[in-house]
Amino acid sequence: MGDYVWFHDVSWHATYAIYFFVVGILAGLSFLSYGSWLMPALRPLREKAAYGSLGLLAVGGLLLIADLSQPMRFLNILNPAYLHFTSPLAWGALNIVAFGICSILYILELKKGEDSARGKLLAMVTAILALGLPVYTGYDLSVHQSRPMWNTPIMPVLFVGLAIASGSAVGTLLAGGNQAAQKILREFMLWSTVAVGVMIVGILGTTNYGGSAEELTFMLLTTGTMGMIFVGLGIVAGTAAPAAMLFVAHLKEQTTGLAIAALLILIGSAALRYALLMGPQQLQTLY
Amino acid sequence: MSEELRVSPIETRGVAGKRRFAMVVDTRRCIGCMACQVACKAEYDTPLGVNRTWVPYKVSGKYPNVKKHFLPRLCNHCDDPPCVRNCPVEATFKVEDGGFVLQRYERCIGCRSCMAACPYNARFMLPSHRTYTPITNVVDKCTFCFHRVTQNLVPACVQTCIGRSRVFGDLNDPNSEVSYLVANNPTQVLRPEQGTKPHVFYIGADRSHTEFARDAYRRLDVMESERAAFNKHFKI
Ligand code: SF4
Ligand code: SF4
Repeated sequence: MGDYVWFHDVSWHATYAIYFFVVGILAGLSFLSYGSWLMPALRPLREKAAYGSLGLLAVGGLLLIADLSQPMRFLNILNPAYLHFTSPLAWGALNIVAFGICSILYILELKKGEDSARGKLLAMVTAILALGLPVYTGYDLSVHQSRPMWNTPIMPVLFVGLAIASGSAVGTLLAGGNQAAQKILREFMLWSTVAVGVMIVGILGTTNYGGSAEELTFMLLTTGTMGMIFVGLGIVAGTAAPAAMLFVAHLKEQTTGLAIAALLILIGSAALRYALLMGPQQLQTLY
Repeated sequence: MSEELRVSPIETRGVAGKRRFAMVVDTRRCIGCMACQVACKAEYDTPLGVNRTWVPYKVSGKYPNVKKHFLPRLCNHCDDPPCVRNCPVEATFKVEDGGFVLQRYERCIGCRSCMAACPYNARFMLPSHRTYTPITNVVDKCTFCFHRVTQNLVPACVQTCIGRSRVFGDLNDPNSEVSYLVANNPTQVLRPEQGTKPHVFYIGADRSHTEFARDAYRRLDVMESERAAFNKHFKI
């Protein structure tokens, strides 16, 4: 008792978590659009997924710009004279721009209405650039050497897992009653959600066995309001429950069941991203 | 100084002709008067609620054997600063001669990456309205009083320190007071495990301050109530 605590502000607020969520879905949709060139069952999703990911790119970009305290200076980050390549944000900015350009070219090709080799190539390049988006957002956190839980190389992989899960969940909702597409999406959702669950358990375990800062981060993430969001919504309701539902074989044919599982995955992946962003930052306000 | 420590190309440790400014804070002499904090506020018109330098304290022991520990804090002008690495537009940069870590206000986009990267919370966001200066909505921090040091003055906090607890000088100069103090005293730096190689050295610092989580095991509801009280008084 008697300690005088100097409170600092957290660096990144919830806007960033929403951005992570949006970028994850857009990457997942991009994978699906490319997947439609390889798996005929996904064909009905091709255009919807491509338009969806471009639309979400606009939303994500605006969120990022709005989150800057000097929004009009977002051009600085695109200025080659200023770009600093040791920063993941610089790579992220280039990745977003490249993805946007490719995505537009791809949609223009789709508008022609034929299954051209060029379309397939553009779909692949767009999907590869889309893969860079969750990778860089995870990398963005993992480079922070002093922040427990963020500073793990698994973060970019976790964000890719979350992108596949949430992208497939949106894909399932877009697929409507298309049984063939849903069958594939069910597999995507199941395995990506299981992978996310395994990674979260791994991160939580190593965090709890870290130093005092790591242990407190574990405590902050598993108790109180943050505990409800992280463990309750993120892990139990948003990861374990949909994974269990998807395991149950008869859901294969049930559109409503799949839609519920997809909604749970979306809620879970939003909650996980929020908690992973905000939880580890709470500790820094005390030091 | 051992060679194996020199890992970053921007370090100035022992480089001939380059200066390497550092601050030594002798906590045995700090009386917690906060004059440094006030002098800094006056020098820079730092807004309410944020500080370039601050003096947290901790009371240890049980009555009648109690002791109050003060630990003045500021940007450590790290030799290998994560804030510089993390800035996407080089708004945060390191001055090679002197080792100052400085900020280009006109370039900063306010992404707060540097704030997240600094292990010491030495950075803060300037509010959107200030009375005497147009510098707003960008990240700020201690500059080791670059403008004073380049005119052969010491930083404002050092100038004003009543107990002569803060000492400033060039570590590459073997005749400087800081060189003498660092060579002849056991010194501590904040969170050495981060590998940032801070240029603020403490003498006699209490471990509960230099290591993480001074408040790590306090009850969350107590921390929350203190936070609410703090916010009430320091809203900007
Ligand atoms: S103390 Fe923080 S702000 Fe200062 S140089 Fe080091 S990392 Fe950067
Ligand atoms: S807030 Fe400014 S100084 Fe900090 S990383 Fe962003 S652009 Fe660089």
